[in-house]
Amino acid sequence: MANTETALKDAMSSIDGAIGVALVDYGSGMALGTLGGTATLDLNVAAAGNTDVVRAKLRAMEMLNIQDAIEDILITLGTQYHLIRLLTGRGGNGLFLYLVLDGKRANLAMARHQLRRIEAELEV
Amino acid sequence: MSPAVEDPTLDRLAAERATGALHGRGGALYLADGAVVHAESPAVPDVGWRLTAGGRLSPESWEEAVTRGGADHRAGSFLVERGRLSRGELELCHLSALFDAAYFVLSPLDGSRRAPDRFFREARHWFGPVRPVPVALLQREMRRRRSLLERAWPCPEVDAAPVVPVPGAVPREPGAAGPTCGRRAVLEAADGVRTPSQIALALGRCAFATLLDVRRLAAAGLVRTPEAGAPASRAPLRGPRADAPEISLLYRIRDALEAL
Repeated sequence: MANTETALKDAMSSIDGAIGVALVDYGSGMALGTLGGTATLDLNVAAAGNTDVVRAKLRAMEMLNIQDAIEDILITLGTQYHLIRLLTGRGGNGLFLYLVLDGKRANLAMARHQLRRIEAELEV
Repeated sequence: MSPAVEDPTLDRLAAERATGALHGRGGALYLADGAVVHAESPAVPDVGWRLTAGGRLSPESWEEAVTRGGADHRAGSFLVERGRLSRGELELCHLSALFDAAYFVLSPLDGSRRAPDRFFREARHWFGPVRPVPVALLQREMRRRRSLLERAWPCPEVDAAPVVPVPGAVPREPGAAGPTCGRRAVLEAADGVRTPSQIALALGRCAFATLLDVRRLAAAGLVRTPEAGAPASRAPLRGPRADAPEISLLYRIRDALEAL
């Protein structure tokens, strides 16, 4: 029964290598909550930019006529991982969790597992 | 082109840490201690609509929260206490609805460009505060949304007019390259009569996101753009709930009568 703030704190403290996390409404590209980030990583800008990533992938799937839903999207940079997890809640219309991980310290499998858990906590 | 979002009244109320409701032609913003705690606009599906349209809550659970929790100005918290929603879900749904409605309060669709200016001091909304939003943050987001619309298609005429798909805009074959996700649903709901707001209500989704989709569809040449200066639709914005009483007003009247 977490609120959004504790869910974001949970993500930052329980996921190894977490640099920043945001909860984003992809209808508007607005971050409904952010935590962490660095001087060079503005999570509000990242939220708006990654909304376009999600939209592009949804479009690609529709063009391919894939009848399925995106669970998560992983972007691997030289030094970071960016993980986007779409939320499936019936009340939340089009939200995703966006997580930035330090490539050296992160455990990708664990991070995905933890994000799933945090999503479940957010939705009762 | 777009109505002004900058609003000296709102800045002043924030500086005064005022509590009350600021009404305008596009709806109302509710403030508590100078922060925005609620927004409502007939152009936007409200929290109850969103929660019940997707089946998250039964209409009975929602009505119970409105009548029992709303009496103490805390319908939102009532839903969490009764285990109907998690705190997180409540916050996310309420914040989405708040920013969505605030856009139409501050940029009314009637093109009047009039900022909300009637302030009712000490008025409180029956939903109750969930997560207060500082006025500066709200205004920054409104500016961002306005520029998103401008960049998508700088033609505000499509915002309030009936959405008319051009022939062949909805591909008949599944998988054919066409408009995507939200935009597809918007196109399919466009019957040539509904405006973007009415489509948002029909789909139970954000009105701003629908507006953005309509602008993008117009830019892609998939919906017709009305002539500049064409009159906006006169149809009532909110369909089935047009006759519902203004509940917060009723509560205020009751409070005032009890105080006599």
